Amino acid sequence: METETFIFKKVMIIDDTKIDRYIASHTMKKTNFAREIIEFDLAKKAIVYLEENQHLPEALPEIIILDVRMPEMDGFQFLERLSLLPQSLKQSCCIVMLSSSLDPADHDRAERNPVVKKFMNKPLSKANLEEIKKLYSDFHQTEKVSV
Amino acid sequence: MLPINDYSQQVKLKSDRMMNHFLAGFFITGLIFAGFYDTWIIALCVGSISLFAYYLTKYIWPESNAYQYVLSGVFAVFMAQYIFQMHGLFEMHFVAFIGSAILITYQNWKLQIPIAVAVVIHHALFGYLQFMGMSSIYFTQLEYMDLSTFIIHVSFASFIFFLCGLWSYNIKKYTEQFIKQSYEIGRLQIADKQREELCKANMELDKFVYGVSHDLRAPLKSISGIVTITEEETTDPAIKEYMEMIKGSITRLDDFIVDILNYSRNARAEIRESDVDFEGMLKDIKENLKYMGDDHRMVNIYLNINSKKPFRSDKSRISVVLNNLISNAIRYQNPSVTDAYVEVNVITDETEAVITIKDNGIGINKEQHAKIFEMFYRVTENSVGSGLGLYLVKETIDKLNGLIQIDSEPGVGTSFKLNIPNLFHQI
Repeated sequence: METETFIFKKVMIIDDTKIDRYIASHTMKKTNFAREIIEFDLAKKAIVYLEENQHLPEALPEIIILDVRMPEMDGFQFLERLSLLPQSLKQSCCIVMLSSSLDPADHDRAERNPVVKKFMNKPLSKANLEEIKKLYSDFHQTEKVSV
Repeated sequence: MLPINDYSQQVKLKSDRMMNHFLAGFFITGLIFAGFYDTWIIALCVGSISLFAYYLTKYIWPESNAYQYVLSGVFAVFMAQYIFQMHGLFEMHFVAFIGSAILITYQNWKLQIPIAVAVVIHHALFGYLQFMGMSSIYFTQLEYMDLSTFIIHVSFASFIFFLCGLWSYNIKKYTEQFIKQSYEIGRLQIADKQREELCKANMELDKFVYGVSHDLRAPLKSISGIVTITEEETTDPAIKEYMEMIKGSITRLDDFIVDILNYSRNARAEIRESDVDFEGMLKDIKENLKYMGDDHRMVNIYLNINSKKPFRSDKSRISVVLNNLISNAIRYQNPSVTDAYVEVNVITDETEAVITIKDNGIGINKEQHAKIFEMFYRVTENSVGSGLGLYLVKETIDKLNGLIQIDSEPGVGTSFKLNIPNLFHQI
C-alpha cells in the first residue's frame, strides 16, 4: 500500500446524494485517482472547511467535484461564496461541476463561470476522471505560462 | 369597431332628447309670434304638421336616420313660418342658421342638405312671388329684393350650411379617430399584459419541467453508476449480462425522459434564431453517440458538410432532430452487414439547408412510412424506443417550417431528407 502512487493528493466531493458520493469516491479509489478524498453532503460545510484551511496549502484539494442541485446552498451559490475567498485558493484547485440536469441555463451558467473547468453529466465514470486529469494538467500548464 | 358603434348610438340618443326640447321651443315661439299679426292658425297648423311629420317618421323608422332629415326640413319650414308670421321681418331669416347649427350635434354633414335646399327654394320662390307683386306673401320688408341680392343671400346662407356640415364631419372624424386610438391603446395594453403573463407562465413551466426531469434522472444516474461498478467488479458472466440488461433499461427510460422534455420545450418555446454551425454540432453529436451502438461493433458515422453560406435557424431544435435521427440509425443497424454506417450530408444555401441522413440499417416497410411520425407508434415489437422520437422530429421540423421525407427499404437501409428554411435573409 505504501508504494502506491496517486494522481492527486486531495480531491473534494460535494454532493447531497450519498450514493453519488459513493460512486465518485469508489471510482476514484479504483483508479488511484486521489490519496485522500474529502466528502461533503452540504456545500456549506465545504465552504467552512475551505475557509478554515485557506492558509494551509496541504489541506486544500486540487480537484473539487461539485454537484449543482443541492438543498440549502446549491452549486452556484457555493461558487459565489468561494469567490470571496483568496485568489490563491481558487487558482490552486480545479472545479468540475457534475449534474444530471438538462437545463441549458445550468450549462450556460457553469460555462460562463471562469472557475468551473467543465460541466459533466452524472454518473462520474472512469472516462470522466481521465478528462479531469487532462483538464488539470492543461490548467496548470497555462497557469505556469501566465505566471 | 364596436366602441365606435356604441359611441354613435350614444350621440344619437342624446341628440334626440335635445331635439324634443328644441322642437317644443320652436312650436311655442310660433305661438308667441302669432300675437304680433294674429297668425294663430298658421302657428298651430304649420307647427303641428311639422311636429307630426317629425314624430311620425321617427315612430315608423326608429332605427333609420330618416327622421333626422325630416327634422332638417322642419327647421326650414319653421323659418318660413316665422318669416310669414312676422310679415317678412328680416331677422327671421336667421332661424335657418339656428336650425343648421343645431343639426351639428348629429355629426352628419348630409343633414345640412334638406335645410339648405328648402331655404334656397323658399327664398327663390317667395322672393320671386313678392317681386312679381303678389300680395300676402310677406317674404321681406325690404324694397330691393332683386336677383343680385338673392344671389348674395343664398351664397352666404350656403356658406353657413357648408361650415356647419364641415364641423359635423370633422367632429365625427376626430372623435372616431380618438376612440379608435384609445381602443387600440387599451387593446395593446391588454396584449402586453397577456404576453407578460404568458412569458412568466412559460418560465415557471420551464423551471418545473427541468426540475422534474432532473429529479427523475438523478436516481437513474445513481443506479447507472452502481451498475457500472458492479459490472466492472464481477467476473460472473451471468451477472455481467444482467447488468447489461439493467443498463439497457436505464438508457430507455432516460431517453424517454429526454424525449418528453424536448417535446414539451418544442411545443411551448419560441423559435430562438442563431447561427447554426453544422460542423461543430454534428461533431458533438458524433462524440456523444460514440458509445451507443452495440458493444461488439461500431457504427461508422460519416459527415459531409457543405455549408459555405451562413445559416440561421433554431440551433437547439436542429440538434434535437439530428440527434434523434442519427441515434435511430445506430440503434436500428443491420446485424447482417459488415460495414454498418450512417452518412450525414448537409448542403446549405441562401434559402435552406438540405440534410440527408442515410444508413444501411434494417429499414422500414413501405406501408409503415405514413405512420412512423405518429405519437407512440413503434415500427416493430423489437423497437427499443418509446415511440416518441420520430414524432418529436416531425413536430420540431414543423415548428421550423421545414419538410421531412423518408425513403426506406427493409434490409437495404433508411434515408431521411430534411429541408430547413434559412432565416438568414429574413431578418
